[in-house]
Amino acid sequence: MEIIKVKNLDFTYPEQKTKALKDVSFSIEPGEFIVICGESGSGKTTLLKLLKRELAPHGNKTGRIFYKGTELEELDDRTAASEIGYVMQNPENQIVTDKVWHELAFGLENMGVPTPVIRRRVGEMANFFGIHQWFRKKTTELSGGQKQLLNLASIMAMQPELLILDEPTSQLDPIAASDFITTLQKLNRDLGLTIILVEHRLEEVIPIADKVMIMENGSMILYDKPEYVGQKLKEIDKNHKMLLALPSAVRIFNGLDSEGKSPLTVRDGREFLSNNYRNHINVLERPLKEDENRDENILELKNIWFRYERDLPDILTGVNFQAKKGEIISILGGNGSGKTTLLSVMAGQHRPYRGKISIRGKRIREYKGKDLYRHNIALLPQDPQTVFLKSSVWEDYKEIGKVMGYTKEEIKNNTEKIAEMLSIQNLLDKHPYDLSGGEQQKVALGKILLLKPKILLLDEPTKGIDAFSKSVLHDILINLKRQGVTIIMVTHDVEFAAIVSDSCGLFFDGEIISMGTPVDFFSDNNFYTTAANRISRHMYNNAITCEDVIEICKLNGVKENYAK
Amino acid sequence: MKSFSSFHPTILFLYYLSVIFISMFTMNPVLLGCSLIGSILFFSMMNSPKVVLKNIGYYLLVFILIAITNPIFSHNGETILFFLNDNPVTLEAIIYGVVIATMLVAVIFWSKSYSEIMTSDKFVYLFGRTIPKLSLVLSMALRFIPMLKLQIKKVNQVQKTLGLYTTDSITDRIFSGIRVLNSVLTWSLENAINRADSMRARGYGLKRRTNFSLFKFYKRDGILLIAIILILVTAILGFVFNIFDFYYYPAISSLEITGVGILEYIFVFILMIIPFIIEVKENIQWKLLRSKI
Repeated sequence: MEIIKVKNLDFTYPEQKTKALKDVSFSIEPGEFIVICGESGSGKTTLLKLLKRELAPHGNKTGRIFYKGTELEELDDRTAASEIGYVMQNPENQIVTDKVWHELAFGLENMGVPTPVIRRRVGEMANFFGIHQWFRKKTTELSGGQKQLLNLASIMAMQPELLILDEPTSQLDPIAASDFITTLQKLNRDLGLTIILVEHRLEEVIPIADKVMIMENGSMILYDKPEYVGQKLKEIDKNHKMLLALPSAVRIFNGLDSEGKSPLTVRDGREFLSNNYRNHINVLERPLKEDENRDENILELKNIWFRYERDLPDILTGVNFQAKKGEIISILGGNGSGKTTLLSVMAGQHRPYRGKISIRGKRIREYKGKDLYRHNIALLPQDPQTVFLKSSVWEDYKEIGKVMGYTKEEIKNNTEKIAEMLSIQNLLDKHPYDLSGGEQQKVALGKILLLKPKILLLDEPTKGIDAFSKSVLHDILINLKRQGVTIIMVTHDVEFAAIVSDSCGLFFDGEIISMGTPVDFFSDNNFYTTAANRISRHMYNNAITCEDVIEICKLNGVKENYAK
Repeated sequence: MKSFSSFHPTILFLYYLSVIFISMFTMNPVLLGCSLIGSILFFSMMNSPKVVLKNIGYYLLVFILIAITNPIFSHNGETILFFLNDNPVTLEAIIYGVVIATMLVAVIFWSKSYSEIMTSDKFVYLFGRTIPKLSLVLSMALRFIPMLKLQIKKVNQVQKTLGLYTTDSITDRIFSGIRVLNSVLTWSLENAINRADSMRARGYGLKRRTNFSLFKFYKRDGILLIAIILILVTAILGFVFNIFDFYYYPAISSLEITGVGILEYIFVFILMIIPFIIEVKENIQWKLLRSKI
């Protein structure tokens, strides 16, 4: 019998004309791993919340939802709370108590489980999730990945049969995110737990899913096995936005107009290429970029050493770096390697104890007060929420205008220009916290751009935003580059760095160890490279994006025994 | 190093309660001396020699200051030593000052080790039993405050790079402080909604909630409990039968040296140095264990 059955579900939020969900019907068998994807605002979260009775939003609902054959509303309180688990997006906001062990026990306390039983279950969960090392720690001392793992574990302690997760990895770095996904896979495989997961990061998730559901404007447009999703989506619309979000193997498969079961993982993708494509041309000819950029360095770091306190270890050990006008430079690197620190040193938030930083030929120390941040350098922090202080985006923008000494007229003009460039005109009157992650990112960027910086520093600009917002961000950055803005970003997102940057560097052990154009950088790397490169590197030398791979495959042509 | 802290929270709380109670409600110099010795001995077991010396040095100053202040303001007592600005300075007042200083410093040292030993989770556990809601609120507050601090720091830094209120002038600082606080309040409300959801999703609000804790009551907790109660009862008997009575004005009363009296003092002394003895015992045990390997 199905664990979840949804029949003709419609939902409208109060005082809204358009339906948030339109005629959604599907069913899920016990033990299935379902991935739901779609643009932000497509109704994914609404659907998930309706499946968890305690979180169901107010509004006008028609249609029925059954859990194990019983209608959701008729479930007993305890069953509803314990058997359906729900993990939210932000790891920080879900933690209720101050100690890890208390958090693990919180749900069980609510259920009125006696102490000896709680002790056993908490111990069991701590072991399963590898929490025992930090079992007695304070929750504030944990890293983002640990926090999200704790959220998952504290729900698993209640022994749910259905686990619902709403973009659980969007605030995590890629390594923590992939650990988290692996844990989910383990739960699904070893315990037969039914999982419904909403995700942006489809590269890793789609291969392990049993079925993929794609939502658009409140309707379910696709619900199928992952192997067929790419193809079916293309049948619906050849340029569908969601095609960008699919794993690289699927995108290459689609781009080559192949039919049938698509490869999902890097391994399948490699096999697909070797079986079907020739490789007599193994280098993609690229138009050589003439080195027109002979300007002097706009930002220069010479032998920078930095540590937070005297007794703490060095974080930057002799960093040398330069950026020219109109360049986009990505700095990649592992977690906690000090990339963010590097940015804050560049932005003048921290002072190095040795070395020299010059901005436009002038030493950073010589800038007084806010001069450094006017028409010069600006930093977009990782958490866009920290940028806003006022109750609407427009008011926040106005304030920057004052700092810059604009007249009312100028403020209006500048704001309009930037709003148009970022296409955020309709967001200006809203409260910053009411916007989605991708929108917040854009609006925060807008505020920073009002400072008219020559150098823009971005800290993880693609964290937690979907594939479509990423492509929008890509266009914005290229546009800024054309206007002569230098952009330096630190990121984990190799795919994004590969398509947007002029040069990429790897930050490791306190310094930038390799710098080069994306093509050189990624085709030299074995592991730290894009999925498209990993799929194609055994056949072609310098294909780093999906488009590159598709192009070179088409140049080479198919093998004779190619079966469509 | 802190084996005393591994005892059951109830025992620890009872211990501190009785020690601080005895120290605060007696003026008997012997009892207060015992208390001071016990508190400093235990404090020095818990901290590095550097910290201990620094603290002792500092509180020695406090001690002297209090001891001097009393005879300057209090002129009671019949043994006049000399006149200061036509005011008599008496032996009784000086001794009284010393005793008051002893009491204060002893209580301070007890409080210092108390705050290290009775961590928030123990406190929450103790009072969560009687008032379950309070314990959850406390636990949530203890989580929330560090989060709020961190957010304020983050917002502050970001706003500086935006070029807002970057100068160090007082008006700028105040204005930027108000603005940041304002935004962080909104942020925390936003946070609270999420937290409420997370609590509801895990069944908060259902009837018959239990309280889980990691603490167990072991046999050694029982033994210590009996010891504390026995000593406490004898001490209370001492108070009831006026064995510990001591007066400073007009003349200093003499200590009653009787068999029972000495026994009583020994008991109280033992009570005061129990934590120290436990720590020392543990240290010796470890040394022995290690030498056997």
